[in-house]
Amino acid sequence: MNRLTCPFCGPRELREFEFHKTLPEPGSSPYARVYERVARLDESTEHWQHVLGCRAWLRVRRNPSTDAVLETTLLGGGAT
Amino acid sequence: MTGAIPRYSALALLRARLSGGGFWSPLWTGRKLKDAYDVVVVGAGGHGLATAYHLARDHGLKVAVLERRLVGYGNVGRNTTIVRSNYLLPENHYFYEDSLRRWETLSKDLNYNVMYSPRGVLDLALSDGDMQDMARRGNAMRLAGIDAELLDLPALERFCPELEPRRQRRFPIFGGMVQRRGGTVRHDAVAWGYARAATAHGVDIIEDCDVQGLRTAAGVATGVETSRGYVKADRVLFATAGHTGMIGTMLGMPLPIETHLLQAMVTEPIKPMVNTVIIYVYPGHGEVYVLQSDKGGLVMGGFLDGFPSYTREGQWSRLENVVEGTVAVLPRAAGVKIVRQWAGTNDMTMDGSPIIDRLRHDNVFLNAGWCYGGFKTIPASGAACATLVATGTAPDLIKPFKLSRFQTGHLLDERGGGPFPVRL
Amino acid sequence: MSGNLRRGTRLRGETLRFRFDGRDYTGQVGDTAASALLANGVRAMGRSVKYRRLRGVLAAGPEEPNALFTVGTDPCVIPNVYAPQLELTDGLVARSQNRWPSLRYDVASLLQAGGGFFGAGFYYKTFIWPSWHAWEAPIRALAGLGTAPRDANLAPVPHEHSSCDVLVAGGGAAGLAAALAAARGGARVVLVEREPVCGGELEFESGAIDGQAPLEWVRATLAELDRLGARILTATTLVAGNGGEYVAHFEPGGLPGCSTMYKIRPKQIVLALGAVERPIAFVNNDLPGVMLIGAAERFLARYGVRIGKTLVLFANHDRAYAAATRLVAAGMRVRAVVDTRPADAVGAAAASRRAALVAGGTECLAEHAVLAARGGREVRGATIAPLATPSATRNFGCDALLVSGGWGPSVHAGTQEGGTKRYDASLGAFVATEQPAGRANAGGANGILELGAVLADGTAAGRNAARVAGRGSDASAAPTGAGDPAPRLVPFWRSPADRAGEKRQFIDYQNDTTVADLRATLEEGFIDVEHVKRYTALGFGTDQGRIGGLLGAAILAELRGEPLAEVGTSRLRPPYHSVAMRSIAGLRVDENLRITRRTPLYDWHLAHGGVLEPMDLWMRPRYYTQNGPAAYEAGIVEARRVREVGGIVDGSTLGKIEVAGPDAAAFLDTLYLTKASTIKVGRSKYMVNLREDGMVLDDGIVLRLAEDRFLATTSSGHGAHMLSHFEHYRDTEWSGRGVTVTDVTEAWAVIVVAGPTSRTALNAVLGASWAESIDALTHMAFARGLHGGQDLAVLRASFSGELAFELHCRPAIAVGLWESLVAAGLQPYGLEALDILRVEKGYLVSSELNGQTTPADLGMDVMIKLGNPCIGRDLLDRPAFREATRPRLIGVRAVDGRGRFYGGAQLTAADAPNRPCGYVTSSVYSPALGEWVGLALVSRLHAEGAVLTARDPLRIGDCAVRLTSIVHYDASGGRMKS
Repeated sequence: MNRLTCPFCGPRELREFEFHKTLPEPGSSPYARVYERVARLDESTEHWQHVLGCRAWLRVRRNPSTDAVLETTLLGGGAT
Repeated sequence: MTGAIPRYSALALLRARLSGGGFWSPLWTGRKLKDAYDVVVVGAGGHGLATAYHLARDHGLKVAVLERRLVGYGNVGRNTTIVRSNYLLPENHYFYEDSLRRWETLSKDLNYNVMYSPRGVLDLALSDGDMQDMARRGNAMRLAGIDAELLDLPALERFCPELEPRRQRRFPIFGGMVQRRGGTVRHDAVAWGYARAATAHGVDIIEDCDVQGLRTAAGVATGVETSRGYVKADRVLFATAGHTGMIGTMLGMPLPIETHLLQAMVTEPIKPMVNTVIIYVYPGHGEVYVLQSDKGGLVMGGFLDGFPSYTREGQWSRLENVVEGTVAVLPRAAGVKIVRQWAGTNDMTMDGSPIIDRLRHDNVFLNAGWCYGGFKTIPASGAACATLVATGTAPDLIKPFKLSRFQTGHLLDERGGGPFPVRL
Repeated sequence: MSGNLRRGTRLRGETLRFRFDGRDYTGQVGDTAASALLANGVRAMGRSVKYRRLRGVLAAGPEEPNALFTVGTDPCVIPNVYAPQLELTDGLVARSQNRWPSLRYDVASLLQAGGGFFGAGFYYKTFIWPSWHAWEAPIRALAGLGTAPRDANLAPVPHEHSSCDVLVAGGGAAGLAAALAAARGGARVVLVEREPVCGGELEFESGAIDGQAPLEWVRATLAELDRLGARILTATTLVAGNGGEYVAHFEPGGLPGCSTMYKIRPKQIVLALGAVERPIAFVNNDLPGVMLIGAAERFLARYGVRIGKTLVLFANHDRAYAAATRLVAAGMRVRAVVDTRPADAVGAAAASRRAALVAGGTECLAEHAVLAARGGREVRGATIAPLATPSATRNFGCDALLVSGGWGPSVHAGTQEGGTKRYDASLGAFVATEQPAGRANAGGANGILELGAVLADGTAAGRNAARVAGRGSDASAAPTGAGDPAPRLVPFWRSPADRAGEKRQFIDYQNDTTVADLRATLEEGFIDVEHVKRYTALGFGTDQGRIGGLLGAAILAELRGEPLAEVGTSRLRPPYHSVAMRSIAGLRVDENLRITRRTPLYDWHLAHGGVLEPMDLWMRPRYYTQNGPAAYEAGIVEARRVREVGGIVDGSTLGKIEVAGPDAAAFLDTLYLTKASTIKVGRSKYMVNLREDGMVLDDGIVLRLAEDRFLATTSSGHGAHMLSHFEHYRDTEWSGRGVTVTDVTEAWAVIVVAGPTSRTALNAVLGASWAESIDALTHMAFARGLHGGQDLAVLRASFSGELAFELHCRPAIAVGLWESLVAAGLQPYGLEALDILRVEKGYLVSSELNGQTTPADLGMDVMIKLGNPCIGRDLLDRPAFREATRPRLIGVRAVDGRGRFYGGAQLTAADAPNRPCGYVTSSVYSPALGEWVGLALVSRLHAEGAVLTARDPLRIGDCAVRLTSIVHYDASGGRMKS
């Protein structure tokens, strides 16, 4: 894994992005949202930011066993 | 030591030489998996093996260690071999110090040379503020009876001249703190030494045995399903490091753990150049620790790769980061060549400290969440975790490492980074 | 070998002088250090790591395990340079390594007498008493190869980034064919070749391609590639793959770390890295004079070096006969070709060569093996015996013993990042199989070793790569050719030997791993190839197992009685090829390790005595030299002056985030512990942010610029983090709402004007147009307007306890404003004074915001009580945060008013002298009070008035202290409000 595709900027070097966290189960308690992590070998849903680029926040689905990126979508719908 | 394993000594080596072969016997291989055990330990890494050793030796229990792959194939053989107890929080420094004291005598205790090398662990400060933070930590250590010294530039120059402390740098060196009893231990030897000693005490270590499920009845675990069949167990301990998250998923309880890659790398061998462990942390995602192995290679590591992964393949960009830091802190190393890089999967908790606790079922235990500290705690963790598993009660030393601390707020956030293994 | 008429494809004739181990030699332009030394009759070039055995050159590439030199003269040396790659330059100085006092006479080599004693696992069984550390220094001194230079060379190495359609790694027959096919198809091609010239085995292989001699075809192909616009990078080694990008290193002259790193992103890569020849284990197979057959052929063809006068060749394949034929043709006597296979295993082409060799006086022995090399310091002969009756030995005199056990395809690059390999019994080796999209192997890596097939495979790979890359398909004829015969190899790994002999059957040369080590390792139960690798150091040398990895696995399989296919080889780790750290660091060396953020006043500070200190990526003045010899003295002078007269400080590093839109106020309400929506336009408020887990994250002033527009300031070190934090909430919880977040940190310079004369000075500088609005400013109010035609905001806020103003101005006018303030009588002060002023007043400095404190810990009860439901609030209710021993921010002073105590001192109560109940977060000598004052986080069990001991064994020892109010100076705040 050396690139992520930013919906704004296209494929960019991974070092432009920063991972924030893996997401908890939807509807979790405040405690779970902060502390618990869903661990699966085949899929991980995460928040990343294109921090050295357009600074958009992204939702990234990846396979953490292969580092293959399954999907990258824009958080915030690009409304800003 | 009991059992048929010959004692190691120079004399034994001589006798082996004269015998012309057939003198030594396997350290741990060749054991058969039985139907039932007092304790099944899942994972033959450092913590699993050390715990099994103490369960058998100190508590007289019948123990099996089930390993999916090979003894010592995970983090115990992939770390950068650093041992130290220079932690800020009392809960941490008492625990790590217990471990460091055990490292000091472990070779004799196991009759296996794990090559404990108290060459010092040196943290470098970049500012007066850093020095103050180090003083806070070092003072806390000293009050707890742990060695720590603050070094100003002249003292640093004497202790580690190859740092060229007065050299002009982007982030100049301001001073440092050294723990002289900290240093290195030959990582593979720890796995092998514990495996050998555990085997001598009757532990069955079974490699290539994948634990696939936990069988329970009436809220109590009765055994584990494995790729080699069902094994009955009165107690089960999971010590599976980077795969601990999966154990949580298997038990239906998400854990405050995220698995991240941590890289290490080594250079070609060169003649002795650095005689301590240097840790240099600087702004802009800069972090490097560097030491020289007894074989002569410079061994380096840095910060996590930065996102969850089980690939054990590190990112080249992170390797670049680590190398940049090494060249910055040890300019003479610039022309030395990297020959090998590898990565381990680190079980990162949400406060940076481990979890050693009972899990959900009364007789299921977890030893995990080792973050950056797994290797250095193996001896202490093994002894204390064995007591927890054998008696059901955690010794004081590991009481703080409860899973419930995240809920109660008794956090052990050494770095103050909060519930984010990757610091932004 | 003097009198050698040297004619090699790489030699250019002119004579060069060089020095090796203190002796002068000559060589030619085009020579390498290894070839020139061989031509001078020098055999011994190094010593092994463990037993210090004397060694000569084994291979002709970077897999060479023995001949590693230190190049240059002290203090600027380069250690561990591969002699077969080190190009000769006039005046080159090189020396052998790992020997003392000389290569010929090495004291530590006496260790080899203990061969079996020091075998695998030796160290784990000994040196336990008295302790390992007691033995470590001398053992370490014996280990290692060369010595790192005393003077660092930090010249930056450029990294060149590029992309192409097809990257071809390897410029041998397969690589050239692939590049040609791809380029003919219209692809943009880059080819990297490790050697200074392309050709690979075509440098010496017999045969023809498209009717031309192989090297003619190479020249023609390179010319055509050039016409087609392909880029050929020679002396450039593929180093690593990185998720579709490839790193290659240009190392002209074979000197590491001296030139460009290429980062190439191709649409397709063709790995045509060939195969590495492997030795066979026989007794003393490490004597100088033992060499791989392919290496001897390279030294002959490239550099005209005859490796000996009388040779014995030992192999298990047909290529040995082609090699022997060429060696004879070059004037060497081949005494014998020892073939482990039965006579009928030899193919027709090789058989005719064999017949010719026999006719010329060479003995060709089938089903024989070399049992041992004979000789002391170098090869003097070979002991040979039939495999069926190993005791029936014969001795052959020879001065070079050439060996080849076959080839290990270079699958290293392919097996990283997801490629797979399979065992090929016909080669006794693992060959590449499936590769991830975007990558293909060609030629040797696929186990294809016959020239015609190699060309076809390369062409197919190149065509396919061009097609997949979206270019055309080449329709022109593929090159066809024929060269050396198919190897018809029968795997053979080690010659028969007794147990004593096995101790001198070397597998990994550099680490001295022998067959005996493998046997001993198995005896101790290390069975898996990964365990064996770790226990014996097999494959841990600089060649990373290229020479001994496969051989070791095969012998392990034999000893285990299991097929090699199941035993497998140990996992090959990146990088593909060793690379100097300087090259990896690239431009990020010295001052360029990280960017430097500079405020608009940076140059002014430097020019006026400012001593700058890093703060995150910023540089900020800690103090000014004219005020004292060091930070401590100068800080006191500067702080005192602020209280007595006034001063100015550069606050430009503060993070500044503009938040705007109809929902801006509500948005900020969730991001801060207290509400932003209650701030009136034109006013500001001191606010803190909580992290998701309830800990205090940052603090700063929020200004309301308009109903729907705010400026939030953050602390200097947290600006980047806070911006991401704001943007995260904007894009998640607040997605779709009317709020924008804009970083304006560098759009505004900030000058803080503090002290009793600050208002007067400000009025003098800003002039009459501002006087009224400045006079009217109440605490935390601000005015906006223009100064010199540029935006300026003046905020009345104070972190010094004095009457103070923050000027937020455009960078363009910052220096002018600053200088006018200086002219108006205000001197600059630095961080040291800033901290003194803050601590005197009980304001937080950065050490209290350490990520471990809740707002209650920091005494923010009033803010908490307001009940704003902000981020992090949910988790503040946890029981631990309400415990009586929870720390709380409090003031601290020496009991006697004279003692010193420093930030970082631990605080203990009399009843528990070694168990801290808190610690001093910050302390300063207060010039206003004439004593040390500080802030501390202390268990709530200890209230104001309590006496504790500040314990600082690391620095100044103990000091009795009393807990006080956090405000040490001007508790009423009268000065600030004046």
